[in-house]
Amino acid sequence: MSKTILNFILLFLLLIPAQAVIFNNLILFNVAIPLVFIYLIIRLPMTVSVNAALTIGFITGLSVDIFSDTIGVNAMGCTLLAFVRRPVFHLYVSLDDQLGGQSPSISTMGSAAYMKYLITMTTFYCLTVFLIEAFQFFNLKMLVLRTVASSVFTFIAIYAIDSLSIRRRHEKKL
Amino acid sequence: MNELFNFFIRNSKWFIFAFYMVISCVLLAGDNPYQRHVFLTSANAVSATVYEASNNVTSYFNLRDINEDLNRRNAALEKEVIDLREQLARYREAGYTDTMVVDSGISHFDFIVAGVINNSVSKPYNYLTINKGTLDGVVPELGVIDQNGVVGIVSASAGHSARVLSLLNPNFRLSCKIKGSNNFGSLVWGGEDPEIALLEELPRHTVYQPGDTIVTSGFSTVFPEGLPVGIVLDDGKDHSENFFTLKIRLFADFTALSNVQVVINNRKDEIMAVEGSDIAQKKTR
Repeated sequence: MSKTILNFILLFLLLIPAQAVIFNNLILFNVAIPLVFIYLIIRLPMTVSVNAALTIGFITGLSVDIFSDTIGVNAMGCTLLAFVRRPVFHLYVSLDDQLGGQSPSISTMGSAAYMKYLITMTTFYCLTVFLIEAFQFFNLKMLVLRTVASSVFTFIAIYAIDSLSIRRRHEKKL
Repeated sequence: MNELFNFFIRNSKWFIFAFYMVISCVLLAGDNPYQRHVFLTSANAVSATVYEASNNVTSYFNLRDINEDLNRRNAALEKEVIDLREQLARYREAGYTDTMVVDSGISHFDFIVAGVINNSVSKPYNYLTINKGTLDGVVPELGVIDQNGVVGIVSASAGHSARVLSLLNPNFRLSCKIKGSNNFGSLVWGGEDPEIALLEELPRHTVYQPGDTIVTSGFSTVFPEGLPVGIVLDDGKDHSENFFTLKIRLFADFTALSNVQVVINNRKDEIMAVEGSDIAQKKTR
């Protein structure tokens, strides 16, 4: 358990500044932005209680907000994401204790279920965030475009990070 | 009471969810003091440190473009400076001719104002280049002075420029005298300091004081009589010989020449003709 917490803290300290410094600047075609930091919430083990997940989500979102000066947007988005995490997970995996204390990943969920989980979560998050931002300036075409493009971009980015960590684990085993 | 607690605990996730959502909404909603709190903006210590660290790296990425911009800007400014400088030089030349006091004794001399476009003081044989040439009436063997004193003599001239043999050149000897006496000597550059020249071949009986002014003797057709050259510093050599040498501090500041005047002697031909006839007579004799 303590190893999981340590891992999470390390990932937090790595992803939040990376989001601020690198990913926030990787805007493609003025619409697609990789919101990679939600990987923190996606990878939370299902054994973490909903209350704890909500708190973690809120803090994560607020941290990103502070860095990117979008106060409240990501905090709300991440809180929502943490809240729907378990229901989304159960859409694709019926048994809760199938994972045990492990994080959702390809190796623990199976490739197909994990992909679906990942796509749903990223799309949900992008839609939420861009909807919140749309309260200030509404443009349906832009909203759809940004949501789709950013979801795809975020999905690819997170999948890439996943592949890196999986390969590292394989190397350790060898 | 117990049931109320149970209710809260059972539905705690809803309450916590609602709590965070309310906080987010407060933060989102425009006008509130939290939004302007520096801790919640990217200006706080942590994010400022992170951004500064990243800026330390990324600031190098644009250096090529920034450099190019600066170079372009630099070139534009340099061009402007040169333009302005030329304009200034033109005005200065125009003003200079007006303020120059021409002594009645040297009125048969004409002056052409010219700008110095190249100059050297540190070589063993120094020359300077001026921006007037044959088309302006500047021909070789004309004297060049500036507001302080003698500068040199024209040695070669082209259409719009001329080369001047500087006083700081051992090939140039100038006939000079101590103001107020008629003993004359030959002035030549000392060879080291651009301010110091030597007045040689002064007769032994010459009376002088350190600080006396040295002027041109007028014994040549090049310079009019009485042009200031420098002041006596002291005598370098002993007086046992029939001739002695004085150290002279030159008036003209050769390290900062900007405008000079070319002296044209209108009676040069006349004098040359007279002197020439004298020589011719000697020859025939």
